[in-house]
Amino acid sequence: MPDKKKIMEKISNLSSIPTLPSIIVQITSLLQSPKTSAEELGRAIASDQALAAKVLKLVNSAFYGFPGRISTITHAIVILGFSTIKNVVLTASILDIFKKKSDNITDFDIEQFWMHSIACGAAAKSIARFTDNKKKEECFIAGLIHDVGKILLYQYLPELFMKTYSFSIQNKLLFYQSELQLFKITHQEIGGTLAERWNLPQMLQQAIKYHHAPQPAQECFSTTSIVHCADILVRALDFGYGGDDQLPNISETAWKSLNMDSIQTSTLFDMISNEIDRATAFIQLF
Amino acid sequence: MHSDTNLLHNCLTPDIIIKRSQEKMKKIAVEKIEDGMVLARKVSNSSGNTLVSKGVSLTAALGRRLKNWGIHYVYIEGEEQSAEESNTIASSPEELKTHLLSKFSSVMENPIMERLFVAVYQYRLQKNSR
Repeated sequence: MPDKKKIMEKISNLSSIPTLPSIIVQITSLLQSPKTSAEELGRAIASDQALAAKVLKLVNSAFYGFPGRISTITHAIVILGFSTIKNVVLTASILDIFKKKSDNITDFDIEQFWMHSIACGAAAKSIARFTDNKKKEECFIAGLIHDVGKILLYQYLPELFMKTYSFSIQNKLLFYQSELQLFKITHQEIGGTLAERWNLPQMLQQAIKYHHAPQPAQECFSTTSIVHCADILVRALDFGYGGDDQLPNISETAWKSLNMDSIQTSTLFDMISNEIDRATAFIQLF
Repeated sequence: MHSDTNLLHNCLTPDIIIKRSQEKMKKIAVEKIEDGMVLARKVSNSSGNTLVSKGVSLTAALGRRLKNWGIHYVYIEGEEQSAEESNTIASSPEELKTHLLSKFSSVMENPIMERLFVAVYQYRLQKNSR
């Protein structure tokens, strides 16, 4: 049985692990500066053909109501706004990572797993709206990417993934509990390592690393707590499938910090359900 | 980052999404199989052997057999449903309760999770009865 050290070695030696294109890193940092102009951002996006095509396709779709009328990236940025552009750029990169299927795994429903990720993003966005968190789009992305460590296992270490999956079902354990028992390492750690290597914004790194126990997330505690709660809610509602049949325990500190008790659950659940449909439609535009 | 056009094409059309939008299939629990439903994707076992081929007309009896073989879901021809509609797990109140109790079994001592259990159970019961 491979142990933690061997798994981490294997992960760091994989040459084919998806790298976050440098253009994404560049655009993310441009978007973080309040001084960035639409022209500057437009130049950066236009330097990447694939990305530019996606942005234009999106802004010209019926979703935004300007079919066939926007032909330049700068115009698209003005129409969509910086926040949506950032969402598009990050979602596009995440989709590239997620869409690769594992040839060695036939009896795991990756589409339902993908749905779990979309649902978690949608739920995180809904909770953000309820709790007056201004970073709704960032919460969506954080929810979408929180299980990137599992994706890495699925794609690059499929035998470990399937062993963990079967072990979880047989022993009624959470996926990460099985990982700990079998290999002494969790998908949160693996995903966190990847997120660090990609230089993702701190907020995303923390959400990936601490989505099962948000306390150490410090300055990103609020968004990490949102993803933590979102994950548990969509599992309880059976929106998608995260790879095990149990529910993680909720962190009382996280729940209370978001004042979740004040939210009417049926309204929140309805909003999550609608947001999932919206997010699925949005993602189909890519 | 990506220079060749194939890669560009792949970026724009992730295969998961093509399946969803073009083939018009939906995923259902094997318990929900009704006579005459048409299989949109072949069913294979864990060794990769085909159990039922694509295009086969299904029966409820075959659904029970699939369950015995450890298959929980199949893809049938038809329109994709919304998140709510496609949530086909445990539709009777008893099934739902059993399903949720099993999911919540290790966390029920947490009062927040206990309240969440009640909220989720009531919400889904109400949705199912609509």
